[in-house]
Amino acid sequence: MSLSVHLRQLGSPQRVLLHDLQLEVPPGHILTLMGPSGSGKSSLLAAIAGTLDVLSAGQLHFDGQVRLDGQDLSHTPAARRGIGLLFQDDLLFAHLTVAENLLFAVPPGPRDQRLAAVEHALAEAGLTGLGARDPATLSGGQRARVALMRALLARPRALLMDEPFSRLDAALRAQFRPFVFGHLRQRRIPALLVTHDVADIAEADRVLAIGIPTASGPADA
Amino acid sequence: MHRLPRLAAATALLLVVALPLVATTALALAALADAAGWQALVQDPRVPRALGLSLWTGLASTVLAWWGTAALLAQASVRGSLQRMARSLPVLLATPHAAFAIGLAFLLAPGGWVLRSLSPWLTGLDTPPHWPTTQDPWGLGLIATLVAKEIPFLLWAAATQWQREDLRARWRAEQALATTLGYGPRRAWWRVVWPQLAPRLHWPLLAVLAYGLTVVDLALVIGPASPPTLAVLAWQGLQDADPVANAQGAAAGGVLALAVGLAALASHRLIGGPRAGRLDGERAARQTPRTGWPPGLLLLAGLYALVLLALAAGSVAGQWTFPAFWPQTLSLNAWRSVAGSSGSLWTTLALGIGSTTLALAWSVAWLELAPRRWDRAVRPLLYLPLALPAVLWVVGLYGLVLPLRIEGHWSGLLLAHTLMVLPYVLLSLSPAYQGFDPRCAALAASLGRAGWPFLLQVKWPLLRQSLAASAAVGLAVSVAQYLPTLYVGAGRFATVTTEAVTLASGAQRALTSAYAGLQFLLPVLGFALAARIGRPRRFTVAPP
Repeated sequence: MSLSVHLRQLGSPQRVLLHDLQLEVPPGHILTLMGPSGSGKSSLLAAIAGTLDVLSAGQLHFDGQVRLDGQDLSHTPAARRGIGLLFQDDLLFAHLTVAENLLFAVPPGPRDQRLAAVEHALAEAGLTGLGARDPATLSGGQRARVALMRALLARPRALLMDEPFSRLDAALRAQFRPFVFGHLRQRRIPALLVTHDVADIAEADRVLAIGIPTASGPADA
Repeated sequence: MHRLPRLAAATALLLVVALPLVATTALALAALADAAGWQALVQDPRVPRALGLSLWTGLASTVLAWWGTAALLAQASVRGSLQRMARSLPVLLATPHAAFAIGLAFLLAPGGWVLRSLSPWLTGLDTPPHWPTTQDPWGLGLIATLVAKEIPFLLWAAATQWQREDLRARWRAEQALATTLGYGPRRAWWRVVWPQLAPRLHWPLLAVLAYGLTVVDLALVIGPASPPTLAVLAWQGLQDADPVANAQGAAAGGVLALAVGLAALASHRLIGGPRAGRLDGERAARQTPRTGWPPGLLLLAGLYALVLLALAAGSVAGQWTFPAFWPQTLSLNAWRSVAGSSGSLWTTLALGIGSTTLALAWSVAWLELAPRRWDRAVRPLLYLPLALPAVLWVVGLYGLVLPLRIEGHWSGLLLAHTLMVLPYVLLSLSPAYQGFDPRCAALAASLGRAGWPFLLQVKWPLLRQSLAASAAVGLAVSVAQYLPTLYVGAGRFATVTTEAVTLASGAQRALTSAYAGLQFLLPVLGFALAARIGRPRRFTVAPP
């Protein structure tokens, strides 16, 4: 599964944020997007996920194409794109338990299988036995892992991450980053990561600078 | 939902509400065109003093309520008790104006508890004196009642902002930052938080202002009587069989509308007032941090407790001669009488539940579907029932329901109540609804749950506290309606409020207290139910 984006223009009638951008993310690859604040990185993720209208309250418009394995998703609603999102905040739903947050993401099917998927995800995240807990009682690192597992349980065909590590301290970031990247590579999910952290860039496959006069290239270039 | 169907649905929603609102306003203004009414108004010798009283009571009560609210918020902020204060508001908010006025009148009346507690040992009185302690000619009782009733409303409006997680976190951080720059907590509040909060309370302040200038039921109970305020004079004219008196009543409503408009323009100054935002760098002396309830709120709550106690005691009092502090005999006759005429209770409940349901459904749909700029543009229209004098509003409403042949009918009454309830529900719900993190919608969509599944499983459960509180506010507003019920209902429908206000002018203390008590109990039950529905989920597994 590969993700490709051909952007002609992104912005409002008053201000163009991005134009003439093309990017290709092969299966299991992680492309980091970096650039100054306000350069349109988060808006680009929203446009790819199909949530630009919701997140910009209809202010921004995307002119371009989003393809997953060649399939044009430009007119597919967000809920049917199969593109997962991870934000800076974990956004665990406060009215649901940890397990219910995970169950929310599991596609429809026999209840036993759905619950088994949740238990498996909890185990993978090292959170066995914590499913009935209030998410507010988890540590920052635990919450971040639940958020990732929730995104993965929806079986995304691509994952978009908007500074998902920035709220974690350095030690937790160092643990969580390989955890996330490992899962994505193992499941061959193409991913875009918006970040300001050079450590993220170093461990990603490629880097694309937006709004800075530099060319894109391999992360280790 | 796609953009075009969404806009079409928003347009339909707008039309459903805008048409009756615009028609009512136009018909109300049309009633002002009768020259005979204006002539009669100009020639009525009571009008100058009545207008003066309206301006005095309305403006004084608004300014005092605004400053009282600001001071209470500052006290609560310094003491870290804003959240606790917000939780205590429903009981104060639920007390209808008329019930509060009746209770306060029983406290302050010459035969009331205040004089009973001082007699005869201090006053030497063994019969009630002929003092103008209620319905005083200066309108002081009316001002006191308005201030005591409007402070909880403004506090609640502030709480709806404060309970937005994003604003709360930002303001707390900014206040903390100001204290690190050497400002005391109280000064940090006044300099940093209040200037940001005050403009967000503009619409609630206008509602308070318009209400204070134009209130009728409260003024009938505790306001000056000869002459009364202009709103009461207008109401008396509207009830008259003489068409010229009707036109004079409408004209008086027009004068009040003008007064509200001018005062609304001046209210910008009031909002800027407490800012005192001179950035002079002056720091207050460090205060010792205090905790607990703000003293001002305790005072207010104490007054409410006394008023409600007066209603409770009054409703079961049998023989109660002056200056006995407690009734000599107790009787349930008043409550039996209330139970015997339960029709008014059921009418009140049916109207309250019906109008609240309609207003809440409309508000949710509107907030969900309407683009923000549409919402901003039509808010003044939606808030018209708050800004126009009630006496003028009911004239327009009557003009609307008459050709539809629903005057004196249940459907007309439901329409009248819904149009009054709607702005309050919208005011109550908007901060939480519009403050809802849009990333949750994006996240849910990325997990395959957009549209109804997202609303039913995520958004509305997370907003249930605000939804329930807004419904309780709607019920309280409907229960308190007096003029629309009488006028649009053509006197054919009795509610607990119309009964309480009508009885207040008579001498049946027990029955009046019982109806006023019931008028208080219904919204309290609504708020209690809302608190239960809206309480956060309790997770079964405790943290280690």
